[in-house]
Amino acid sequence: MTDPRLQAMAKVIVNYCLELKAGTEMRIDAPYLAEPLIREIYREALLAGAYPSTFIGISGLGPIRYRYASEEQLKHVSKLEEFSVENLSAVVTLWADWNTREMTNVDSKKMAMFRAARKELNTRFLERIAKRELRWCGTLFPTHASAQDAEMGLEEYENFVFGAMLLDKPDPIAEWRRVSGEQQRMVDFLNQVKRIEMKTKDTDLRFSCAGRKWINCDGKENFPDGEVFTGPIEDSVEGTIRFSFPAVYGGKEVEDVRLRFEKGRCVEAHAAKGEEYLNAMLDSDEGARYVGEIAFGTNYGIQRFTKHTLFDEKIGGTMHLAVGASLSESGGVNKSSLHWDMVCDFREAGEVRADGRLILKDGKLLL
Amino acid sequence: MSDPRLERMARTIVGYSLALKPGDLLRIEAAALAQPLILAAAAEAIRAGAHVITRISLDGIGETFLRHASDEQLAYVAESEKVETETVTARLAIGGGWNNRSLSGISPDRLALQRKARAALAERMMQRRLKGELRWCITQYPTNASAQDAEMSLVEYEDFVFSACFADRPDPIAEWRNLSAMQAGLVERLGRVRRLRIEARDTELELSVEGRRWVNSDGKANFPSGEVFSAPVENSVNGRIRFEFPAVYSGRMVTGITLEFRDGRVSSARAESGEDFLKAMIATDAGAAALGEVAFGTNAGIQRFTRNILFDEKIGGTMHFALGNAYPECGGANKSAIHWDLIKDLRTEGRVFADGELIYEHGRFKDERSRGRVA
Repeated sequence: MTDPRLQAMAKVIVNYCLELKAGTEMRIDAPYLAEPLIREIYREALLAGAYPSTFIGISGLGPIRYRYASEEQLKHVSKLEEFSVENLSAVVTLWADWNTREMTNVDSKKMAMFRAARKELNTRFLERIAKRELRWCGTLFPTHASAQDAEMGLEEYENFVFGAMLLDKPDPIAEWRRVSGEQQRMVDFLNQVKRIEMKTKDTDLRFSCAGRKWINCDGKENFPDGEVFTGPIEDSVEGTIRFSFPAVYGGKEVEDVRLRFEKGRCVEAHAAKGEEYLNAMLDSDEGARYVGEIAFGTNYGIQRFTKHTLFDEKIGGTMHLAVGASLSESGGVNKSSLHWDMVCDFREAGEVRADGRLILKDGKLLL
Repeated sequence: MSDPRLERMARTIVGYSLALKPGDLLRIEAAALAQPLILAAAAEAIRAGAHVITRISLDGIGETFLRHASDEQLAYVAESEKVETETVTARLAIGGGWNNRSLSGISPDRLALQRKARAALAERMMQRRLKGELRWCITQYPTNASAQDAEMSLVEYEDFVFSACFADRPDPIAEWRNLSAMQAGLVERLGRVRRLRIEARDTELELSVEGRRWVNSDGKANFPSGEVFSAPVENSVNGRIRFEFPAVYSGRMVTGITLEFRDGRVSSARAESGEDFLKAMIATDAGAAALGEVAFGTNAGIQRFTRNILFDEKIGGTMHFALGNAYPECGGANKSAIHWDLIKDLRTEGRVFADGELIYEHGRFKDERSRGRVA
C-alpha cells in the first residue's frame, strides 16, 4: 500500500485542482521517479470517468540536449508539441527531480534559444488556461533531491510537503475551499486599488495595477497554493528590488538578485552568483525584461524556505515578482518565453502600501 | 557491462589502495545505490583471493534510526560489530547516497550520543591500522545527490570523479605510483623544514613543523588522494588566514572564513555567513581552537570545488588546515572531537616560505623535481 497521503493528494488533484469530468482527456507529465503518485492519479482519473494518458520523463536528457543539439535542432518545434498544446484539456505536471542542479553548467544562450523557439507555444498554453479551455496543475512529488535542497531528510520533507498541501487534514478539499474564501476577500479589496508601493531592505518598488485583476490562487493551478497575484501595468514599474531568497530557474541557481526598473523595463540586473545567466535569461526576448506578475504569498502554513519556488513563493509574508510573460487572466499583456518568479521576504521590516494605506507590515497582512 | 572506468577504479582500489592478498577479509560499506561499484570491487577482491563481506545501507534507514531510536538504542553497539572490528583486515568505505542532507533535522545531541557510543570501535580501528593489521580505503561513488552539491549533472560529475581517480587513463595504478614517487620527494624535503610561512591576500600565517612527520597520502587510505600532510607544533601557529572556499561540516556550510591565531590558538574567528556555527565548532572542546593538520593538495586532476572534502582538500594548488584532532602518524598531539579541514586557494596568488626560502608559488612547488602537481 502506498502512503495514504499520496492517495489523498491524487483525489485533490483530480477532483479539486483539475475538476476532471467524465470524457475529459488528461495527461500526466512526470519523471518516472514519481511513479507512486502517477499510479494514484491515473486511478483517480479513471474513477472520474476521464481518459488519462502519461508522458514520462527520465533524468539526464536535458544536459544531453544542450551538449549535442545543433542550433537548428534546438529551434525545432515538433508538430506533436503544437498538437498537444492545442488539444489537451487537462494536464497535471509532477515535478520530481533526481538532481536539481543538473543543468548548472549548460550554456545559458542555448537554453534561451530553446526557450525562445517555444514562445508561441508557451503563449498559447497560457491563453488556453486563461480561457479555461485547458486545466493545468503543477505540483511536486517529494524526492531526495528536493529534500537535500531543503536541508531535510526525505521523511521530514514529505511531512513538510504533505503538510503544506493540507493532506494531513481529514478533508483536504474542504480546507482548500476555506482558503479560497479567505483569499477572495483580499482579492476583492485589491481589485479597487490603483497603486502599490513595496518597501523592505534594499527594496523600494512602485507600480500601478489600476484596471488589472487580482487572481485568487487557491490550489488549482499550483498545488499547494496560497497567493494572490496580478499583472502590473507594464510600463508602470519603477524602482529597485533585492530578492532575499536564491532564484532557481531551469535548474540553475542565482543568488542575491538585485533588479532596477525604469518605466517598467529592467535596466540593471545584478547577482552575487549567476549574473551572466540572469542577464542571458532577461535577454531571451523583449518581454523578458518586463514584469509579468506581482504577488502576495498568503500561505502561513509554509514558513521555511526550501529552495523550491512552488513553496517559497507561497510563504505567508513574502511577495514575489515574475519577469517575463504575464498571465492573461490578470489583464496583463506582456509576452515572453520567460516567466521567472523571484521571492522577496517582507517578514522582517517590510511595508506594503495600497493607495497609501498600509496593508502589509513585517509579514503580517493588515486587511 | 558497466562503465569501464568503474572497473578500472575497482581494480585500482583492490590492487593498489588496499593491496588485497589471498586470505584478507574485506568489508565493503556502502549505500545500495552504489551497487555497480560494490559489485565491481567485490569481483576484483574475490579474484585477488580475499573474502568479502558487505554492509549495505538502505535509502532512509539512517534517518529512520536517528529519528525514532531511544537513547538506549542510539548508544547500543552489537557484539557482532565488535567482532567484525577485530576481525576484518581491510575496509572499503564507499560514500555516495540519495540525499546528502538527510540528517540535517536530527539534533546534534543525538548524533553526538551515537558517535560517543561508537568511539571505542573507531579507536580500535585506528589502533589496528597503526599496527598494520588493518587497511582501509575511503572512496566515492558518483550519485545525483553529490552531483547536485557539486552543481553538475550526473554525467559531468562521473567525469569529474573518474578523472580525479585517474580511472579515465589506461593504467591508473601506474599513475598513482608516479604521484606517490613525486610526493615522496616532497615529504622528504618538507621533513627537513622547521618553520613554514604562508603569505597571500588577507593571509600571513607562521607555524612550526619541527620534529613532525609529513605523510604521503598517495591514494591508499583516501581514493582519490593527492596530498601531503603533517601536524603543526601545537602552540607555534601565529597570524591570520583567510579561506576562499566554503567550509562544510556535517552538511552545514560556512563561507568567507578568516581566522587569527595567537600562540597556537584561535584568537578571532569571522565568517561572511555561518559565523555562529563556526564559533560553536571552535568552542567544542579545548583542542578545537588549535590546528591539528597542515597540508598541501597536489591532485591536478581536481580543479573544481564540489562540496566534498574527499576531493576538495586534494585540489592541486591549495593548502588546507584542520581545526581539531591531529593524526598520530604525524606526531601531532592535539586532541579534539572535531577535525574540520579548511581550504586555502593558492593557485592565483600566494607564496609559501620554508625557513625563509620561497618554496611554493602560484599553486606549485618551486623545484621542478617535486612541483607538487601531476599530470
